[in-house]
Parts: sequence; structure tokens; C-alpha cells
Amino acid sequence: MIVTARRLRSMGWVAMLVVCAALVMVLAFRVNALRSQVHQSQARIIALKQETMYLETEFETRANQQQLKAWNDVEFGYAAPTAAQYLDNERQLASYAKPIEPGAPAPIRVASADDSAVVYPAMVSPMTGKPVADDGDHAAPAGNDDGAAKPVAKTTLAVATSGLAGLGDRLSTVHHAGHDKTATHTQAKAKAVKTAKGKDAKAAKSGARLASAADSHAHGAAAHHRTASGKSSAAPPIRLALKDAKAVK
Amino acid sequence: MSANTARTALPNATTAHAISGATATGRLHYANLRARSLLTAKMRLLWVVVGFVFFTLTAFVRIGQLGMVAQSPDHGAAGDVLVPPRAEITDRNGVPLARAFPSYSLWFNPKALGAKGQPLVKTPEEVARALMQIFPGEDYADLLDKLKTGKPTYLRRRVLPEEANKVFALGEPALEFPRETQRFYPQGSLAAHVLGYVDADGHGKLGMEEYLDGRLTDPAHRAEPVALSIDARAQGAMEDELSHEMLETHAKGAAGIVLDVDTGEVIALASLPSFDPNRSDLADNDHVKNRATNEVYELGSTFKPFTVASAIDAGVVTDLAVRYPATPLKIDGFTIHDSHNFGASLNVPEALIHSSNIVTAQVADKLGGQKLRDTMIALGMNQRARIELPAKGFPIWPKGEWPRLRTMTVGFGHGIAVTPLHLAQGYAALVNGGIWRPATLFKVDPAHAPAGNRVFQASTSARIRQLLRLIVVDGTGKSAGAPGYRVGGKTGSAEKAGSNGSGYKNKHSLISTFAAAFPMDRPRFVVIAMLDEPQATQSTSGQRTAAWNAAPVVGRVIPRIGPLLGVVPDGRRDVDVSDLTPLVANGDGE
Repeated sequence: MIVTARRLRSMGWVAMLVVCAALVMVLAFRVNALRSQVHQSQARIIALKQETMYLETEFETRANQQQLKAWNDVEFGYAAPTAAQYLDNERQLASYAKPIEPGAPAPIRVASADDSAVVYPAMVSPMTGKPVADDGDHAAPAGNDDGAAKPVAKTTLAVATSGLAGLGDRLSTVHHAGHDKTATHTQAKAKAVKTAKGKDAKAAKSGARLASAADSHAHGAAAHHRTASGKSSAAPPIRLALKDAKAVK
Repeated sequence: MSANTARTALPNATTAHAISGATATGRLHYANLRARSLLTAKMRLLWVVVGFVFFTLTAFVRIGQLGMVAQSPDHGAAGDVLVPPRAEITDRNGVPLARAFPSYSLWFNPKALGAKGQPLVKTPEEVARALMQIFPGEDYADLLDKLKTGKPTYLRRRVLPEEANKVFALGEPALEFPRETQRFYPQGSLAAHVLGYVDADGHGKLGMEEYLDGRLTDPAHRAEPVALSIDARAQGAMEDELSHEMLETHAKGAAGIVLDVDTGEVIALASLPSFDPNRSDLADNDHVKNRATNEVYELGSTFKPFTVASAIDAGVVTDLAVRYPATPLKIDGFTIHDSHNFGASLNVPEALIHSSNIVTAQVADKLGGQKLRDTMIALGMNQRARIELPAKGFPIWPKGEWPRLRTMTVGFGHGIAVTPLHLAQGYAALVNGGIWRPATLFKVDPAHAPAGNRVFQASTSARIRQLLRLIVVDGTGKSAGAPGYRVGGKTGSAEKAGSNGSGYKNKHSLISTFAAAFPMDRPRFVVIAMLDEPQATQSTSGQRTAAWNAAPVVGRVIPRIGPLLGVVPDGRRDVDVSDLTPLVANGDGE
């Protein structure tokens, strides 16, 4: 037993040596592993940098001066700004703001007409000549008082959801006839809000009159209304956008 | 181990003391054994210690080695991959104009299917036809020859990835796509004459590629791009407007320069027709000739401001109201004409506005050949233009003393032929206060601009600025008057001399030049536009003189480049010409 103990002590030294050697090896392995990781990262960095370079070169090539010029000639038609488009300083900028003279018309702050109570002519099928039956909540009214009452009733729900934010949108957004069809989505909601709040019975009464007045711009406005309600196809706004692009050119 | 053996031996020793005879030898034996065992023990301990020391040292050495010797990624083999074999060239704003780019090339390897047998799966004719569909610009016969000879060769130096995919789809193992680093010009033919190209051996040819060849391939500097003074946007605008006008007037060629008057930096330098440096194999043609720096032309009336400035500077012209007869002038059997009859007499401002050869000749005559010659030498007109480009034409410079007639013709820009760059440098000196500076294609720190040489007094320069502005406001340069940019300049429409000095026979071969500077109240840039043999077309109202083709180019270029170069148009500012306007009667002329 003693012999075994003494032997054990010496074997202990050997074991310790082996353990130390193993630790050194582990250290070496770990260092190597880390090194290879660093190398891999380096290789990856290089690969990414090269890819960035390829992409940058491709971009530069596709967007070179001659190409940009060709695009501008065909698509954009941008021209260099003229002298009148530059301002020297803040003073010159301020000179454009002139005080309101007596008798001047009040500045137009809200350009969105309250057309939610307006009754639009029904969509008519080009094939049959009859009004298209629109299932769901947005039935096309036929220009009578019943039809006018429908959107009013419908919009009571929107009051709760839009609230003051809708009012802010309405005040800050200018409503053009042909522009920003998609942007006025929320605006249209806000209009609905207003209708529900203030108009109620009055709107129903004036519905028929407004409907006849709206006939003149019914085409564009109807398209707008349908888009805003999120129901109709995207065709009218696209068509209008194309028209605008042509006008710009 | 040996200590244990010694101890286990002790009981044996106590039992053995009864036998006296064997005692002495037994003790000795045990003592020996003990000593030996101790030695063995010590030895083994030493081995253990040595082992420990060895492993510890190994660990420390390894850690030390990793810390000290291992290279950082920036300088190691890995970092070298990112350093291009040839440094990048950028414009003044860092837009890459030339860079090393690993692209595919199409290589024909006939041994791909083994040394024996046919190199191609299909017939060479079929493969050549298929390649022609992918690369319509190639020569069918040439491709077929290469495929038939069975020698390894390049079929095409540069192939786009999508083209490579198409070729791969042909299923011919002999068609290989080695990826090679080649010179790539992302802007295509833009500034091709400034950049030049790199030939198949990797050496720069023409332009800055040739001039900077050593610097671009220097291992110590390859990683840093070289910035030129060119502005890619201004260069693009200049080339665009020139090529547009060239097509409209059916001109043979065109040249354009934008030069910074204070530093001599070349912002744009265009020569048309141009070439695509990406196809260096096609670059060996007439288009590589640089009309802006290599070709010399008699630039005609654009020289008149030099004559007038020289006369004002020398005190020969002190009163601009003095009138000179404007009737055709006969000198040594040669008659000097004007393009139109401008009446009996003209003063100097009117002579410039109407571009009168007769009056300018008289001013030059009054000034004298020697003084005009000195001015021209000071403007560098007697030597190659000072710029880094290797292609620089030598002016046709009248040697020796100038006779009276030669002085007069040089006075209105004939009998001396220089490059458009000479003209640009001269105009920079005319308008910047009188300092001539060499042109450079390197970006210059405005604080360290070259000092230059004074050619004209500052007062002369101020007067010339007024006169040049008057030419655009009232004279032949009206169509260059970009609103708000206060452009001043001079037209020049010179008949081309026939070959071998055979005189000016063809009245329809003109060099139309417009030399301008803007803004005239504080000139920043000189703009030169030159058209080689423009024709009279409907777009130029049936005219071929500079007022109808070169001047409108300048008038269109300046609004495009002005804001980019920091010149804001302003309709309420201008150089004061009120002291000259009373001297000028209204009228048009060339």
C-alpha cells in the first residue's frame, strides 16, 4: 500500500506533467482556432470589400455621365437652374413674405373641399347601362337623399378612430384635383369624420344640391373617392399619374 | 521507486545480523543500492523538471510568436489582395475614372479535352457562329481562324458575366473564362483623351495612364488613388454639348476646355470624336488624337484680345475712342479684309465687337512685331503647351524677326497655329489679372497655386474683361451669354490653310472657336469650344462661323457647369462697362 502511495506520488508528477502538456496543447489549439477565425473574418472582409467594389463599379458604370444624360433626355428633362431660382441670403428670402394688404382675400388654409356629403352618380355598367350593384358598405348612391345618408351613417365609426390626427392632416394637406391620389387616403377618412360630426341632417338635406353641383367634377372626384375608400381598383390613380408625368414633360 | 526499494531492504538487514560473515558485504551491497536508487530518483526528477520547463517554454515561445510575428491584416498577405495591381484614377471629387477590375476574359484552351482528338465538341464553324450571336461585334473569320488553328489564345479580352454564362451554356470545355485584373473605365469614353488606356501588356498609353505609369504601378503607392483636376460632371456636360453641336453642324471634330484661371487646373478637357478606353484593342486609330492639346490650329479672331491687351499694356492704345480706318488694307501685295463692311472707321471696342481684321492689324502694326512677339512668347505660344499629357503639339511659330505683314496677321490670329490649350492658358492670363500659369491635370490646393509669370498689368486685364463682356453683350458672342453668369468671350472663325502651305483656298473649311471666361466681374473659369470644319446647316441658320456654332456651345455649357463649380448665377451683378458703352455704335458683325 505504501509502495502504491509512493508510486502514486511519482505518478502524480507524471500526471501533472501530462495535464500541463494537455493544457498547453489546448491553449495552442484554441489560439490556432482563434487565428483561423481571424483569417476567415479577414477573408470575408476582403470578399465583401471586393464585392462592394464590384457593385460600386457596376453602379458607376450604369450611372455614368453619358447614361445619366440619356436618361435625362428621355425620362426626366431636368435643366440647370436659372439665375431667378437662386436666393442670395435670408434677407432675400424674407423679401418674398409681404404683409397682407387690406382687402386682400383671406389666405386659403384648407384646400380640401368637404365633398364627403356629396352624392356621386352611380357607376354604370357600360354593357347593360344599369347601375352596378356594389355589395358591401359602399353602395353607389343614385343621387337621391337616401344615398346621401348612407356615407354619413357609415362614417360615425371613423370618428372614433381618426380623431384629432385626422384634423391635423386635413389642415396641413392641400387637396389637388389631379395629384397625390394615394397620399390623400387618410385625408379622405378625415373628411368622413367631419361629415359625421357637423353635418348630420344638414348634409342629408343639401345632398341632392351638392350632387348636382358635383356633376361637373364627378369623374375625377369619384375616382378619388373610390380610391380613398380602398375598394376600387388602382387604375384611376395610375392613369392620372401618367397624365401628370406627361404634363411635366 | 528506488527509495522504496531501499526501505524495503531494511527488515532484511535486521534478520541478517545473526550471520556475521555475510554482514559486511551485505551492507555494502545495500549502501550501493541505496546510492544508486537515489541517483536514479534524482535523474528522474530532473527529467520531470526538464519536461515542465520545456512545455512552459514552448507555451511562452508560442504565445510570444503569435503576439510578435503574426502579421496584421493590413500588411499581411491578406491585405495585399485589396491593393490593386495598378492604382485607381479618380476625378477631383473622388469619382473613379479608371480602376483595376477583375473581369472575365474568353480563353481558348485546345487541350481542355485532352491532348489528342478534336479540341471542340461541335465544329469550329458552329462554335464561331454561336459566339458571333453572343458578341455581334466580333469578326467571324477571325474567330474561326483562332478556333481552327488549335493554339491556345484569347478569343476576347473582356467578357461580361452574362456573356460568360451564355458562352458556358454552349457546353464547350475548351472555352475558358480566366478571371484577370484589367483596367476598367466606368465612365466609358468620358475623358478618354485625358486618361488614355492600358495596353495588353499592362502599360499605360496616351494620357495620364502613360504619364503616371510608374506612379500607378509603384507597390508603395498603389493603394492610394490619384486624383485628377477633372470634374466628371463638367467633363460630361462639355462632351455632351460638343458632340451635340458636332452632329448638328456635321463638323469633323471638336475640342473643349474648362480651365481654372487662378490655379491652372484643367476642369474639363474634351476632344471629339472620342474612343472607348475599355476597348484598348480598338484604340489604335485616328480618334486617339487629342485635338485639345496635340493638334495645332490657326485660331483666328480669338487672338485679337491678345493684340489689344498687348497694345494697351505697352501704352500704344491709350484712348479707346480713337478711330481707325476700316477700309481694306493693302500690305506687301496682300489685302486684309473684314467679313463685312463696318463703315469708314472703327474704334478698338467696336473692332473687337465686330471682329475687324483691318483695325486689329493696324493696332498690331502700331504695337510692333517685337512687342507682339514678346507677348506671345510670354503666353507660351512658342513652345509645347505646359501640361502633363504626353501628347502635346508644337505650335507653328514664325521664326526670326516678324516682318510687318506677319505682325499684322498674327495680330488677328493667322500665321501662327497653336493648340486650344494654349488659347485657354492665354485667356486665363488675360482675365485673371495678367498672370500666366501652366495648366495642370492634378488637383491644386488653391493656397499653393503656382506663382506664374506676369504677362499683363492688372489694369489691362480689367479693361480686357470689360471688352470681352461687351463682345458677348453687344457683339458676335451674344449666343454665349448665359443669363446671370456674366460671360465674356471672343469668337474666332478662321479659314483652314490648305496642306503644304497652299493658302486659304477652301472658304468653307473653318475652325470655329469661342474663347470665354465667366463670371466676368471676378473670373473663375475659362471655357473654350472649338469645332473643326462645321457646316452650314438649318440648326445654325445657314451659317458656319463661330457665333452660330461654337458660341452657343459655351452658352449651353456654362449654365450646366457653373453651379457645379461654385459659380452662382446672379442677374443683378455684372462687370461695369458703362465707360465703354458710349464708344460702341450698335451693329452686328463677325
